Amino acid sequence: MTRENEFVERWRDNAYGCFSSGHKFCREVCPVMQVTRNENHTPTSFHASIVAMEKGLVDVADVADDFVHCTQCGACELRCPNTLFTGDFYRHRTETVKVVKAMRALMVETGNEREAWKLWNERLAANHNEPVLGEVDVSQEHVADWADGLDIPVGGETILFVDCEAAFYRTSYTRAFAQLLQRAGVQFGLMREQWCCGGPAAEMGYLDLARTHAEHNVADWRAVGAKRIIAPDPHDYIAFTEDYPAYFGDDYDFEIVLGVELVAELVRDGRIALTEPVERTVTYHDPCRLNKRKGVHEAPRELLRAIPGLEFKDVDRVTQWSYCSGGGGGLPVEKPEITAEISRRRVQRAQDLEVDALISACPWSERPLSEVGTLEVMDLFELLAQSAGIEVGGHTSAEARA
Amino acid sequence: MIAALDDAVLDELRAITGDADRVLANVSSRAFRTRVPAPFPVHRWGEHMPQVAVLPTSAQEVSEIVKLANRLNIPVVPRAGGTGLSDGAVPMRGRGGILVDVKLMNRIHEIDLVDRTVTVGPGINMLKLNEELRPHGVFYPDDPASYPCSLVGGRIGTGGWSLLGSRFGHTRDLVISMEVVLPTGEIVEIAEGGGRKLRKSSTGLTLKHLFTGHQGTLGICTEATLELVPRPETEFAAFFAFDDYMKAHRTTGALTKSGLATLAGVVLFDEWKLRYLRRDDEAYIPQPEDVRSVIAVAMYGRRAEVEPASKIVMELGRLNDGRYLGDEISQGDWASRHDRYATPLHGRTLDGQAVPMSWHCEDAALNYSVLPQVREEWHAIVDRYIREYGIFDDWGMFAYTNGAYKPWADYLVEIDVGIWEQRLDETNWDAWVRCKREISEVSLKYGGSMTACHGATREGDAELVPTEMGSSWEVVKRIKRALDPNNVMNPGKQSMDEAYE
Repeated sequence: MTRENEFVERWRDNAYGCFSSGHKFCREVCPVMQVTRNENHTPTSFHASIVAMEKGLVDVADVADDFVHCTQCGACELRCPNTLFTGDFYRHRTETVKVVKAMRALMVETGNEREAWKLWNERLAANHNEPVLGEVDVSQEHVADWADGLDIPVGGETILFVDCEAAFYRTSYTRAFAQLLQRAGVQFGLMREQWCCGGPAAEMGYLDLARTHAEHNVADWRAVGAKRIIAPDPHDYIAFTEDYPAYFGDDYDFEIVLGVELVAELVRDGRIALTEPVERTVTYHDPCRLNKRKGVHEAPRELLRAIPGLEFKDVDRVTQWSYCSGGGGGLPVEKPEITAEISRRRVQRAQDLEVDALISACPWSERPLSEVGTLEVMDLFELLAQSAGIEVGGHTSAEARA
Repeated sequence: MIAALDDAVLDELRAITGDADRVLANVSSRAFRTRVPAPFPVHRWGEHMPQVAVLPTSAQEVSEIVKLANRLNIPVVPRAGGTGLSDGAVPMRGRGGILVDVKLMNRIHEIDLVDRTVTVGPGINMLKLNEELRPHGVFYPDDPASYPCSLVGGRIGTGGWSLLGSRFGHTRDLVISMEVVLPTGEIVEIAEGGGRKLRKSSTGLTLKHLFTGHQGTLGICTEATLELVPRPETEFAAFFAFDDYMKAHRTTGALTKSGLATLAGVVLFDEWKLRYLRRDDEAYIPQPEDVRSVIAVAMYGRRAEVEPASKIVMELGRLNDGRYLGDEISQGDWASRHDRYATPLHGRTLDGQAVPMSWHCEDAALNYSVLPQVREEWHAIVDRYIREYGIFDDWGMFAYTNGAYKPWADYLVEIDVGIWEQRLDETNWDAWVRCKREISEVSLKYGGSMTACHGATREGDAELVPTEMGSSWEVVKRIKRALDPNNVMNPGKQSMDEAYE
């Protein structure tokens, strides 16, 4: 059986669940479709692709570019009537993110790679972290530079995993988070050698590379006797709670802690005191991988409401199903102009609320949102550190680093 | 498989748009604009593909595309959301053509809070439009079951029906005027008479109705001026259960003839629908076995109107042994109705196996008096096909109030039929079309219309259009021929090729 046939066999019934109904409730909630208005870029078409492959109408090359148009934000799955109304009864959930990942893997396997993704992942393979500094290569030598002066040990039972973007580009994010933990007296260490989590490589279809990185990281955790991994970045959290268990099965017995939930607990328990008033008016951007993929929307709001002096203009989490920064799923690597437009629209929504900052909780969103340039974008941890009276340090872009 | 247009024509289209990315001749762009949510002959998908899809951004571009099509005698198929339950937005089998996809024309051009209109492009979705209107205290009440995904242009083309139509009107009542590209490429303003924001005129001919519900056969809407309605202050919904369909039918009559102006809709569910919901719908809240028919009633308006009226509804609903199903079901089930549109995604074979099924939704317009008899005849037809072919399932019937502002006498009557699409071949597809035609023939026999809103463009309906139109069919053909001399605008739909014989 060819790889195409295996793929069709694996995803056919899931595809027919969508194809047979064809309602397209997913469409207007999709951040990419909102920009391109191209029916090929809808989850409905992704599923139709599989039926069309089965019927011999299209092959991988025909649909490869379509499948680039997805941030894997998961909005379509939430809005899918199949999931909403037959979910429990039939134990059914429309899988679209997994279909996109599987098709991208098939693209790599069948010689239908995209040029920018190929280059990105070649650089990942060479340096073991994502090339988030553009022309400047990242390296293991500098992977912990962000922690200068913070006196964080290496190893221990609890490991802080730092995302590539947060280690090299927006280091203020990571410094703020680490210092909040230190303030609360949480003991944690860094990895001996921290490679990329591999999640983005898997999202772009480079499964072997993703797996290699996962294996390295897990080996590093085991070597230092780690039991608990703190993941402040939502993308890493997805990799550690979805990809890694699929790779390693029952042997994978680490406790994975989501950063924002840990900080919310520490604030709730009085271990981090938010004493400094922050006299600002802000709104919150629900990162897709928290809100849509993991259903995490309470903790960030609880934290924002705990900051003295802050005026918080909330937009509910369901409305935000159709919001996105465009920063995920490799979209900015292949289609930067679409990411930029998604971010521009998101920032405009915030500006309509007459706020002076947009607060996010995902470093991958903060770059494209900041690049819009019309509204200050801060991370929730940075804002919390400010309210806790912490001098954060670090930088929020590659330029600041240089 | 239908082949793409040749390069010379594609180059002309690229010159018209000035953007090669909006002229899509690749196979996936054509394949994924070949179907809508209606049952689709998936076994001959390739024969329904357009030869190119073009995504215009202005009326001028649409006009140039249509002129090109006229010059070269190439069919034009307009497509907005492609969420219809009939085949208006897909090419006819074997004809190909230029598919004009208007989704990029989704701007709000003007919100006029003084004269109460909003002017939009045809590619905008109602939910998205209402998100923008909400801060102004107004809304656009065109509310189909496809509310989260259908687009204004398609609503106009098909002559859409709204769940709240008895209170606020249906699409054609809510469109005040529009800009249309005619089949020969001219851009014209269409309204009641003159004036883009007037709701009633007697000047000239009232062309507005001609250009709503033509199924894309008379032109392409490129801009529409729509009604703005005050957001209702309150909503009231009530569900009543009955142990007998005829009791529910009589109560429906009483409710719809009550004269309550805030009445937005009454929905009558039959025994088969209750059986289906009980069997296979997760969202259905189980009711005792003796519940065989249910009525849903909804009202919208000011508190001063709705609250006293709700007391009358509660009295009328309990006539004929009606039992109120409580606030939770009444409010919750009404609120979820938009999503219930998508409920029938699985059916069962005769031996009870659950399989993914596509959904046919009949939408005949029928008078109140004939509902009980039509119901029996329709179910008998579907039952016969279920037994003979094993790929169909009967998901029951609804009847919804159908007259805009006049809920008392006619109904959109739906029978939902599940179709196991994975098993479609020529034999099974032909069986389906025959089943569909028999259902339509019953509607016509009882003085009804085959379609209240989806349009008679699907097989099984299309061939009966001349019969239903009767003595006015000659007028239809003359109009079509006069406006579309070369038969390029969505040709072949609704048997309109007869205009050229």
